[in-house]
Amino acid sequence: MATIVAAAMTSHAPNMTATPEAAPAQRKRFLAGLEEMRRRLIAARPDLVMMFVNDHVQNFFYDNLPAYCVGVGDKHWAPRGAAGFLKIPERQVPGAPDWAKSLLATGLEAGFDLAVSHELEFWDDVSVPAHFLMPEGTLPIVPVLTNCVAPPLPTPKRSWQLGSFVRRFIEGRPAHERIALIATGGISHWIGVPNTGHINPEWDHWVLETLAEGRGEELAALTWSQIERDGGNGGQEIRNWISVAAAVPGVKGEILTYEPVKEWLTGCGAVWMQL
Amino acid sequence: MSDYHLNRVLYEKAREHKMPDGIGPDETAEYDLTPEERAALAEGDLEALFRLGANPYLIRRVFRKRFKV
Repeated sequence: MATIVAAAMTSHAPNMTATPEAAPAQRKRFLAGLEEMRRRLIAARPDLVMMFVNDHVQNFFYDNLPAYCVGVGDKHWAPRGAAGFLKIPERQVPGAPDWAKSLLATGLEAGFDLAVSHELEFWDDVSVPAHFLMPEGTLPIVPVLTNCVAPPLPTPKRSWQLGSFVRRFIEGRPAHERIALIATGGISHWIGVPNTGHINPEWDHWVLETLAEGRGEELAALTWSQIERDGGNGGQEIRNWISVAAAVPGVKGEILTYEPVKEWLTGCGAVWMQL
Repeated sequence: MSDYHLNRVLYEKAREHKMPDGIGPDETAEYDLTPEERAALAEGDLEALFRLGANPYLIRRVFRKRFKV
């Protein structure tokens, strides 16, 4: 039985790195939260990081759009084409092909049919959090992508089930393995829609506190419409957070930071689950 | 009418990592678009694109310069 040594969630947004001069005070406070997450992540000594993220219609288009997908490549681009815009150097981060393929095969046996990709290109979803949390680029990353951006989306309940399955999978892995789980995305943001830039701090606090109190399963009961109304279309990305919460059910967490950053168009939070 | 081809145009443009003001008819000639879709792309009309079913993330990605925030 392998060990989940870390479980955490953080928002992502391209402007965290693309416009570093904007919102300097809020950026400093938010990045202090990520620095604390990084410190704890290193102290947990993981040998693999599962990242629960969402595509932004860069890998998957409407001709072939999985609800859930695992990246089994030996490397992932994080970033590639978006490097100029994100102001992050183009780089490849290591994957963990055998581990990821085992997740895929075990899922198929267990009734969780993940799609599979051998080559993924990440934008702010992985590239920005990894830039701050894992700048060395040495920790193997297994990405699990959830469709949060092109409706119809998988239900939050299904994302909870994904996290539950991942927990069972990890329990079946060799005892020496040390696994970290990191979700990115959310919290509230309205992006590309008529009220782009709106943020709902009240909802963000509710999401953060629900997770911190170990009641993540309540988020899994949300509907697409409820999230769209209160968290915006970008709020749909909390599916990634729900999966991580499901992998550590009942565990309480600590809110490391929260900043509703207008210039990033996003309610930005980070949570560390206290395993 | 499906919004598939409208999104296809935006997807292809997004992958170029350029931020045009509009996508003119010369660039959309090969796509199966309605006149309204073609006009919305040419003008970079954010509201029209949204109403016609363009994916908001693609609208943002391609026409970032046209947003107030």
